[in-house]
Amino acid sequence: MEIAPRELSLQEKLNILADAAKYDVACTSSGSSRKGKKGHLGNAVADGICHSFSSDGRCVSLLKILLSNECIFDCKYCLNRSSNDRVRTTFTPEEICTLVIEFYRRNYIEGLFLSSGIVKSPTYTMELMYQTIYLLRTKHHFNGYIHVKAIPGAPEELITNMGYLADRMSVNLELPTIDGLKELAPHKNPKTLVKPIRQIQNGIVEHRLAIGKDPQMERSSHNRYLRSTIFEKNPFRRLESYKSLGSSMQQKLPSAGKSAPFVPAGQSTQMIVGATGENDLQLLSTTQKLYQQYDLKRVFFSAYVPLNEDSALPALGTAPPLLREHRLYQADWLLRFYGFHAEELLSVDRPNFNIMLDPKCDWALRHLEMFPVEVNRASYETLLRVPGIGTKSAYRIVKARRQGMLNFDHLKKIGVVLKRAKYFITCGGKMMYRIRVEEDFITRQLIGEDAKQNWEIDHPQSYRQLSLFDDYNFQSEVTVEDSQKSLLGQM
Amino acid sequence: MTTIFTCQNRFDDMMTCVYDAWASRLGHSNVRLMTEPIGNLELFCEYQHVDADPQKTASVIRSIQKKISPYAYSMVYRAAMSDQPDKLDTIYRFLVAGFHYGASVTDYLQEPIVMRIFELNRKAANEAHFFKEFIRFSNMQNNVLVSHIEPKSDVITLIAPHFSDRLPSENWMIIDDTRSTAVVHPMNQNYYLTSLSEKEMDQLSQETDDPFVDLWKGFFENIGIKERKNPRCQRNMLPLWYRKHMPEFH
Repeated sequence: MEIAPRELSLQEKLNILADAAKYDVACTSSGSSRKGKKGHLGNAVADGICHSFSSDGRCVSLLKILLSNECIFDCKYCLNRSSNDRVRTTFTPEEICTLVIEFYRRNYIEGLFLSSGIVKSPTYTMELMYQTIYLLRTKHHFNGYIHVKAIPGAPEELITNMGYLADRMSVNLELPTIDGLKELAPHKNPKTLVKPIRQIQNGIVEHRLAIGKDPQMERSSHNRYLRSTIFEKNPFRRLESYKSLGSSMQQKLPSAGKSAPFVPAGQSTQMIVGATGENDLQLLSTTQKLYQQYDLKRVFFSAYVPLNEDSALPALGTAPPLLREHRLYQADWLLRFYGFHAEELLSVDRPNFNIMLDPKCDWALRHLEMFPVEVNRASYETLLRVPGIGTKSAYRIVKARRQGMLNFDHLKKIGVVLKRAKYFITCGGKMMYRIRVEEDFITRQLIGEDAKQNWEIDHPQSYRQLSLFDDYNFQSEVTVEDSQKSLLGQM
Repeated sequence: MTTIFTCQNRFDDMMTCVYDAWASRLGHSNVRLMTEPIGNLELFCEYQHVDADPQKTASVIRSIQKKISPYAYSMVYRAAMSDQPDKLDTIYRFLVAGFHYGASVTDYLQEPIVMRIFELNRKAANEAHFFKEFIRFSNMQNNVLVSHIEPKSDVITLIAPHFSDRLPSENWMIIDDTRSTAVVHPMNQNYYLTSLSEKEMDQLSQETDDPFVDLWKGFFENIGIKERKNPRCQRNMLPLWYRKHMPEFH
């Protein structure tokens, strides 16, 4: 820290606080749909809009900044922990408002993502954040997207009031297990982490019931054709308790208008991948539980980039586990749009994803008894389970086959990835080529197709020398199972 | 002998062209439609130029919306905005199929002509979406926002409603540099489409000194994680040719 602190310029502040915020993954602007109003600035588009892509290929949709990096907490994984020697600074609410309005007018951003280190106390921090958002919405008539972090430990009232102004709120769990949390984030108490999540969920439910909607958030519209999504088969559904809940919330908030939308784009959270010893099964079942129990809209994963030297953490310079993060996102999509359950994808015997194969191919290879599937007759639900068929192409298939038979050429044009799908489908009773439906054979074929792509995800900045051998060196460790498989000639 | 109906590359002209080709009663297989400019003239063909006629245009649009569906009309409109040379003929063949099958024609992806119009529509729609994302306004005098783009498809009419909803109380304009056309939106009013003279184009292309451009560049630089640097992924998501008018890449 500099000894005689001088006044930082707005540019310097922005650079410091953007740099400090970049490890937060969520930069989506989706989930809210709001028309523009005369005299106001902005609207919200349901699918979200990315406005640029940064050098790491991630989307820049929102002005992602910290309000302040003067944090009193000392979480081991975090760049802004109090024991790190860094230039510290704090935005004033007016500064943030100017940046948002002027950037938005120039179409640089879709809105604001405001997070913060803990200045003085959670309450003080949350008050500052509320002040900022309040100014932005009222004085500056900003009608665009706003995503705010709820600071655990802040008073309920502040969080609730914030919910009426923001589109999305989030609390970062960071670690899927309580042990991990205790080890790396000693100041964070698991109970205070969950409390605001539950509170925001209750607020959302109350608003949805008040306007006559189902208490659960909307999911992809195509999910209505699926019978057993994680949202339908939800062991945590609490139908009864909602009735009493509505009245108790209203008593607490006499000022809040009944029809004011409360966090319309839902909540999200993020978990770090690869900082502690959690396996993929733990991460994915926690994810599923969060969707079911707290009705979160999104769970984000962030491959851990070592920033601090600590015995409890991977060494500095360890490459972030990008392929593992990629597999988790693939699985997350399978949960939300394809009707898969975490238990189907991973089990206690195989708690980690196969680095060579994507989760859907991996599942299909373990369930070859269900294949091949006849494209002209199979249900939408079954089509979605075929590797190489996504939600869009499945929907197009279902619509087009009403008009007449489909063949492989049609499928290719419709958007089916035949290099994967050809092992699992028939058109008019015939497969594309003579293909043995045999696990070892198909596994070998699929791995050959994707190896280069997987390697590129794992090593984004480098190139691979031409080689005669399959010597892709993945960062993830080879499991005992994998080596057994390669001995037996399956891989 | 084939008759080729040609018209200028504007939506109204195209619809009139469809009308005239249909009304000529030469038979669908004996006519072809093309937008100008025509490169190589073909032998054994008769060329017939068509000029826009508001009544004929309105009649074609009405028929598409009523006899096929409003969705089919939006597909036709977007396809007409694409830059592919076969678009007008594709639209004509699609309408032939559409008037036969009715509203369900848009699902009929096995039919090559429906697939083609689907592709044209998707291409124009995707490009329009990219420009919704990547358009950058610069702040001129009197707080007028001006944006320059050089799209392949004629997207400005596709993106104007989005910005009109988003920035209702701002003065802004989006200029298509290749076609010298612009959408102009005066504060709190409806937007309109206009074409610009060279002098106006020069005036509107002046660089301005804007402190927020530098702030944005600084933010953009700092938001990327160095350990995850991935230019290939960045190029996939944001192809190089879109970056010409984006300040953060200059």
